Order: sequence, then C-alpha cells, then structure tokens
Amino acid sequence: MAQIEQSDKGGKKKKGAQKKMQIHVDFTPMVDMNMLLITFFMLCTTMIKSQTLQIALPSNEKVEQEQQNKTKQSEAITLILDTERDADGNVKIDAETGKPKHTVYYYEGKPVVDDENKDGIIDNPNIKVEKFIGNSNGEVFGIRKILHNRNKQVLEKINVQKEKWRNKELTDEQYQAMAKEIRNDSTLTRPVVIIKAGPKASYESLIGALDEMQINQISRYQIDNINGVDSALIISYKKLNNIPVE
Amino acid sequence: MGKVKIKRKSTLIDMTAMSDVTVLLLTFFMLTSTFLQKEPATVITPSSVSEIKVPTANLVTILVSGAGVKDGKRDTSVEGKVFISIAGDVDSTYSSENVREAVLLEAVNNYNKLHKNNPINLTNSQVQKFTKLNMFGIKLSELPKFLDMEIAQQDELMKDLSNPILGIPVDGNRDLERPNEFQIWMRAIYNVAENNKDMGNDAFASALRKSGEGIAVKADKDTPYSTIHNVLDNLQTLKLNKFSLMTALKTEED
Repeated sequence: MAQIEQSDKGGKKKKGAQKKMQIHVDFTPMVDMNMLLITFFMLCTTMIKSQTLQIALPSNEKVEQEQQNKTKQSEAITLILDTERDADGNVKIDAETGKPKHTVYYYEGKPVVDDENKDGIIDNPNIKVEKFIGNSNGEVFGIRKILHNRNKQVLEKINVQKEKWRNKELTDEQYQAMAKEIRNDSTLTRPVVIIKAGPKASYESLIGALDEMQINQISRYQIDNINGVDSALIISYKKLNNIPVE
Repeated sequence: MGKVKIKRKSTLIDMTAMSDVTVLLLTFFMLTSTFLQKEPATVITPSSVSEIKVPTANLVTILVSGAGVKDGKRDTSVEGKVFISIAGDVDSTYSSENVREAVLLEAVNNYNKLHKNNPINLTNSQVQKFTKLNMFGIKLSELPKFLDMEIAQQDELMKDLSNPILGIPVDGNRDLERPNEFQIWMRAIYNVAENNKDMGNDAFASALRKSGEGIAVKADKDTPYSTIHNVLDNLQTLKLNKFSLMTALKTEED
C-alpha cells in the first residue's frame, strides 16, 4: 500500500549523503471509502424541502344569523370540488391528459333551487362544470379562466406592476407590497370564492383550488363544508345531463 | 545492434487528487444534508405554486396516512391514520427532546384526568424513549407498552398500519369537555408552547398562534377530503384555525 522506493543511481553519490526516499501512498482504498460515504449521504439526504400553503379556516363556533358576514351575491362564486373514483376508490385518470379526473362544479351568487314538478330534481340548477386545466399556449382554460375573468380588474393592475418588476424598476418587496395592496383594494370588483370539497374529492383537488386563488390573485376565499343544497344541485345536474350518479 | 529499450512505466496512478475531490464532495453533502426522517407512512404530497418553505424548527407535523395497496386493490384500512411529529427550537433549552417530554407529561396528565379508572403511569426511561421518537401515533392507553419495546419491535408493529391501536384517534371532536386523544395532544402542545413563551421563548407560540406556520398538515394527494376534513375539523374545534398544508413544488409552468 505504501511503498518506499529507493533511488539508487549507480552509487555515484558521495558517501554520507542521505539516500533519497520516494514515498508512494496508495490512495485507492481511501477513495473507495469516500465514495461509499458519498453514496450514503446522497441517498439519505433530502435536498428538496417541502413547500407549504398557508390557510386559515373559519372558526367552528356558531355565529348568530345577524352577525354573519354576508357576501354580496354579485361577488360570490362557489366552487364544489369532486373527484371521479372507481369502485375501489382509486382516482380515475383522464386518458387524454394523463391527469387525475378532478371536476369543479360552480355557481355564481345563490343556488337556484326550484322544483316545480316536485320530482325531487331541481329544475335548471344554475350550476356549471369546469375542469382544472391550467395555461396552454399563453391562454387560460378551465376553472382558471372563470376565476380569471371574475378578478380581471385586480389582475390587470397587478400585471402592470409585474411588468415594472420584470424590468427591474421595482424591487421584490415593493412588488409584493403593491400586489398585496391591489389584491385588497375594495374599490375594484373582486370575487369572493367559497370552496367546498365533496367527500370524495381528493386532497389534491383542494390544494389545486387553493392554488387557483394564488394564481388568480384572489384575496377573499374560504373553505366551507358542503351542505344538502350543494349535494342536491350536483345530483340534479348529473340527472339532467344523464351522468350516472353513484 | 543497439537494443531498443522499452521504458517500463509504473502502473501506479496517483490517487491523491481523486481523494481530495471525494473528500470535498463528502464535506459538501455532510454539511448540506438534512436526514430523511423516519415516517410511519409514505405520502405523496400534492403540488402547488406556493413557495413558502417548511420551517425546520418549532413545527408540529400532522401526518395523515393515505390508502395502501393490498392484493392489487386499494386498501382503505390504513387510510386516515394520524401521526404527530414535534420539532423544537434550535435553542437547546427548548430542543425537540425537551419539548416532547413536556408535551408527553402534559398530555398524559390530561388523559389521566379524563380516565380516572385506568390512568397511565410512565417511567422515566419510557419518557426518555418517547423523546427520541421522531413521529408517534398510537393510542395513549397502548403507549407505555409501545415504549417498552425495542426499536426493531416498534418498527415491526408500525409496518401494519391497519392495526387498530395505531394512529391517534380523531373521532368525536365537537365536545371540548371530553376531548379526543388528538385534541389532548394538540392542546398539550399548545400549552407547552405557551409555557415556553412565559419562560421567554416566544417562537413556538407565535408560530402556532399567529402565522400558522407552526402546524403543517401532510397528507396524500389521493386521500378523500372527508378523511382530511376530520383532522381539519379537530383543529378548528381547538381554535387553531391557521395552519399550513404541506405541498411539493409544482413542476409545470403555472
């Protein structure tokens, strides 16, 4: 492993001169060991730290009817999340996009619950269906488009600031502060989004919905529990459109 | 005729430089690494555009296990089991071990008040063992027995999540007079944080209360909302309304 080479060159040297020793230490085992350690550390570490999404839920306490915050009907939009699952409960995957089948039912303002012929099905529920589709070719689709249109004024103003920030006219903090101010500007028409997740809706779709709030710079949203009216609306919608109801 | 002498070259390669490089790499990995923590259930968190990083100190992680696969079918018997992990401060007085010990004593104390007939008594070594656990999730009545086990035995037990003693019970959450075990734990954590605040360490309490970065809920992306809602509802009942949801960074352009 470690060798000492003597360099004798014909013994020309004077007597008494020290012999020159060349020392070779073989580092191969050392490298081997180091490589093993590196492999260990590489496999055992997490380089990517998880991200978080901060949310605030409303308090569970009963609020008196008159104390309740009423949302303006024109501003309210309710999203009801649902995920298609097979008999085993596995999330179905859309064959075209390869993404999980999440559906968003939504209605603007109050739900319409008329049942004139008393057949248990709500006539013309004002509920519509969209999918979670993001951007493609610079255009927005799906539920993002709906929310985008509802929050146009805010987004337009923020985009002006964003452009300035891109051109380095604004610092990061300035831009963030500006964006926050615009998001909370009560002179603009801003929607209030109520997110309700059905029992089968996956956690992913809830995060997706919360994500849409961030993407569309919506400052007023809340997560609420699904109620009977919402379920009735969905069932009626499915029946009217010949979608099988499980 | 002069013979052509073939110079004999030594086959020794100098590995010193190579060794230098590997040592450098090793140092890099050692310094940047945070170890993967042992978790009883592996979950794939959904992705989001949020860029807020998970703090490493003063954090309570609530893990909700997802469904497993058994005989090629979705196995919901292991779904919705709740585990809690507590990380303390960098300050050694409020280190993870100390915080966990305080939380355990507080929780057991509260549990015994509610179950006067069969209280839990923990020995000192059991408490010490608990402080070394990264993540726990077992019925309180089974906790002393669990802490007496060797680590290998504990791991063996944790392998089968369908075991009814695993997971912190979250049912029946509306009555604060008779809190479920999850609420006992969370309330103990909250009380400990408040105690630390009185002793001069405000970081944990403010993380829990004000900003909501102190509590992170970690769940699988395919878990139905009804399961998640169970846990969130408990937090709401405890008035811990602000918390964060753990996500991974979205890879696609938003």
